[in-house]
Amino acid sequence: MNEYVVEMKGIVKNFGQVQAVKHGEFNLRKGEIHSLIGENGAGKSTMMKLLYGMYPIDEGEITVKGEAMKTLSPKIAIEHGIGMVHQEFMLVNELTVLENIILGFEPKKGLTIDFDKARKDVEQYINQYNMEVQLDKKVSQISVGEAQRVEIIKTLMRGADIIILDEPTAVLTPQEARRLFEILNNLKQDGKSLVFISHKLNEVMEISDRISVMRQGGYMGTVNKDETSPLDLTKRMIGREVFLNIDKDYSKAGETILKIEDVWIPSQKETSKIRGMSLHVREGEIVGIAGIDGNGQSELVEAITGLRRVEKGRIILNGEDITNKSPRRIRNSGLAHIPEDRNTRGLNRSMSIEENLVAVRLDEAPFTKGILLSREGQDAYSKDMVEQFDIRPTDYHLPTSSLSGGNAQKVVVAREVSMKKKLLVASQPTRGVDIGAIELIRNTLEKAKKEGAGVLLVSAELEEIISLSDRIIVIHEGRITGEMMASEANENNLGLLMMGGSDAGKDGEKAV
Amino acid sequence: MNQTVNSIRRILLTMVLALGIGALLILAIGENPVDAYVALFKGAFDGKLRLGTTLAGFTPLLLTSIAFAIAAKAGAFNVGVEGEVFLGGITAAYIGINWTFLPRPMLYLACFAGAMAVAAAWAFIPAALRAYYGVNEVCTTILMNTVALYITSYLVSGPMSAGTANAQSLPVTVTLYQFMKPSSANVGIFIAIAVVVLVILMLNKTSWGYKIRTVGFNPSHADYVGINSKRVFISAMMLSGMLGGIAGCIEVLGVHGYFLNNFATGLGSNGMLASLIVKNNMAFTPFMAFFLSVLKSGAMGMQQATGVPKALVDTITAVFIIIATMETAFQFAKKRKAQKKGKEETA
Repeated sequence: MNEYVVEMKGIVKNFGQVQAVKHGEFNLRKGEIHSLIGENGAGKSTMMKLLYGMYPIDEGEITVKGEAMKTLSPKIAIEHGIGMVHQEFMLVNELTVLENIILGFEPKKGLTIDFDKARKDVEQYINQYNMEVQLDKKVSQISVGEAQRVEIIKTLMRGADIIILDEPTAVLTPQEARRLFEILNNLKQDGKSLVFISHKLNEVMEISDRISVMRQGGYMGTVNKDETSPLDLTKRMIGREVFLNIDKDYSKAGETILKIEDVWIPSQKETSKIRGMSLHVREGEIVGIAGIDGNGQSELVEAITGLRRVEKGRIILNGEDITNKSPRRIRNSGLAHIPEDRNTRGLNRSMSIEENLVAVRLDEAPFTKGILLSREGQDAYSKDMVEQFDIRPTDYHLPTSSLSGGNAQKVVVAREVSMKKKLLVASQPTRGVDIGAIELIRNTLEKAKKEGAGVLLVSAELEEIISLSDRIIVIHEGRITGEMMASEANENNLGLLMMGGSDAGKDGEKAV
Repeated sequence: MNQTVNSIRRILLTMVLALGIGALLILAIGENPVDAYVALFKGAFDGKLRLGTTLAGFTPLLLTSIAFAIAAKAGAFNVGVEGEVFLGGITAAYIGINWTFLPRPMLYLACFAGAMAVAAAWAFIPAALRAYYGVNEVCTTILMNTVALYITSYLVSGPMSAGTANAQSLPVTVTLYQFMKPSSANVGIFIAIAVVVLVILMLNKTSWGYKIRTVGFNPSHADYVGINSKRVFISAMMLSGMLGGIAGCIEVLGVHGYFLNNFATGLGSNGMLASLIVKNNMAFTPFMAFFLSVLKSGAMGMQQATGVPKALVDTITAVFIIIATMETAFQFAKKRKAQKKGKEETA
C-alpha cells in the first residue's frame, strides 16, 4: 500500500492554445490538510478539477488509493471517495437544506423518499463535526457560510474521505472562516484527507500540514508548514519579493472633496438598498469601505458616479451638487472611477488598448483636432501610459480582449488615474488580478493620494482595506455600522461590524 | 491587415460557393450553367444600356446598405431604411415640383436637404422609443415601413397625383443628369459614392464615429466613460435615416423624374442583406451591394438568352445568405480542429 491517498504526476492540461497546467505534481497523505497555493491562473483549481474528473487530463497519471485512474469523471471520482466543494455552490435555492443534501441519491421507502432516515444520517454528521445547519430552511434563506457547510455535508453523505475545497474562504468573513477551520480540523482528526486551495497566505499558514505551490501552470515544490514562512511562500508563488504594505502618511488630508448627505439608493431588486447613508472623503486621504459583497457597495459607487439614480439625499463633489447628474457632468466636476467590473463597464473589450485609454478624453485637445481624432496625440499618450503602467503587450493597437486580467485592469487604472481628478472612486481595484499588478495598482492609488486626490476605496479584501486606507467605514445592509482609523482596525473588529454590529458575537453570521 | 485579407478570402469563397450551388440548380433544370452565367454577366455589363441599368440599380442599394450598416454600428437593427427612402423620395418630389421660386442650384440642395431632414425625423421616432422606453426597434421600424409606404401612396394617388393611370406625381423641375442614356444611370451614383466615403471616414476618424462604435459594442461602458449612449444611438439612427432619404431623393430626381408609387420596394431589405452578409463591415458593404445589383440586373438577360428563369437569382441570393450565416458554424468547426491538433501535438 502506498502512503498517499492521491498521487498526481506529470500532469499537462491545455485549453485550446492555453496551457493551464504545464507540469503539475500533487500528492495527498491520509488525514492531512494539504494546501495548494498560487496566483490567479497558476493552475491550482484546474489541477483539482482534473482530479475530480471534470476535464480529462492531456498527459500524466493520477493514482487514487493505490489505483491508477485511466479515465476519470465526477461519478468515478465520487465512487472513489473524492468530494469537491466548488467556489460557486451547487445548491438548488428553492429546495430545503435537507432536500439539497440528499438530492440525487435519496434513501427510498417503497416509492417515497425516506426523509426520517435521511434526517438521521445527516444529523449524525452535523453532530460529529459540529456543523450547525438548519435542515428545514430553504437554501435561499441561509447564509453563505451555512451554504458552504451544506456543501461539505453533501460530500460526506456521498462517502467522501478526500475533500477538495476550492478557495472556500473567498466568500466568508474572518469569523466564518475561523469556524470553517474548526470544522476542517475536526474532519482531519477523523481521518479525512483535505485539499485546501487558496491564495491567502495567513490562512494557509494557519490550517495546513503541508503546502504545495504552483506558478504559471508549473509545480514549484511542496513544503511542511513548520519549515516555511509567508515570505518564503510569496517568493515561491511569484518568483520574487513583493511589497504590498505601504507606508502611510495621513498628515496631508485637507478639504472635504466628496460629501454624501443622507442618501437613499435603490438596487435592482429592492427599493432602498442604501438607507440614509452619510459620509465624506477629504483631499489626500484614502477612505476604505469594508463590507461583505452585496451590502450596498455597488449601489453606493454607482450613485456617486451617476450610473444609478438616488431616491433622496444629496451628493456633493468639489462643492457642486452632483445628485442624479449625468456621468459626464460628474466626471467634469472632478471624478475618476475604476469600476468593479472591468469587462463590461471598465473596458470596451472589442476596441484597442489605445481606444480604451482615450475613451474619457475624447473631446480634449491633444486627442482630437476639431472633430477629427488625432493619431499623433493618441499615440504619444498611449505610449506613455503603456510604459508608465507596465501594460503588456506594449503594442497598444491590440484589442483589450487579448489582455490578461492584470493588464486589462492596468489599462483602466492608467486611464482613470492619469486624469488627475480630485476624487478617485476605486471599486474592487485588484479583484482577480495577479500579484504584480496588485502591487502596481496599490502604489498608484497611494501616489494619487499623495498628489492630493481623495480616494474612496471599496474592496472585498479586508487586508487591502486595512493596509491602504487611512480611515475605514464599515457597511452592512446599506447602513454604516462603524467607522474607525485604519490604525485601530483589525480583521476582528471589522469582521464583527461587517456582520451588523459589535454585539453580533459568535452567532453573528446568522444576521447575514 | 491579415484579418482583412482573411475576410476578403472568406467573402470570395462564399460567393463562389453560392454561384456553384446555383450552377447545380441550373443543371437540375437541364440548362448549361456556363451559358447561363455568361448570359447573366452579359446582361449586367454588355452594352451601355445594360451597364447603365446595373449602375442605376446599384446607386440606391449602396446607400441603403450603408444606412443599415451605420445603424448596426451603434447597435441598432434598422429595418426601417425602406420607409426612409419612400419619405425622402416624396419630400424631394414635393420640393422639386413646388419650390420653383428657388434658383436651380438651391432647388437641388433643398431637395436633398428636405429628403434628409424628413427621413432623419422619421428615424428619430423608433430610435427615441428604443433609447428611452426600451421598445424594440425591429418591430417599430417594420411597422413604420408600412406606414411610410401608405403615406406616400396616398399622396401620389391624391393631393400630389399627376392624374395618370399609374399612381405617380407630377414631374420634378430639377433632375440629375443621366450620362448613359438610354439607361437611367445618373450622376446620383457619384453623390452616393461621395456620401459613403464620408460616412466611412466619419466612423473611423472622428470622435462622433468613435462614440458610435463604443455605444454599439458596449453601451454600459459608454455611459460609464461619460458618453451619452442614448443620444449617440439616436444620432446614428438619424444618420441612417438621412442616407435612406438621400437614396430616395436620387431615385426621384435621377431615375424617374417623378415620384412613382412603390418605387423603393425591396431597396431596404436588399441593402440590409448586403450589409448583413459582410457582418456590417463598412468597407466591404459597397462591394456586396454591387454584387447583388449585378445579379439583379443580369437576371433578365439570363432569362431571355437561356431558359433559366430569373427567379434563380433570388435563389442564389438566398443561398448566399445561408452560407454567410453558416460561417459561424465553419469557425466553430475550425476551432474544434485546432484544439484536436493541439492535443495531438502534446500527446
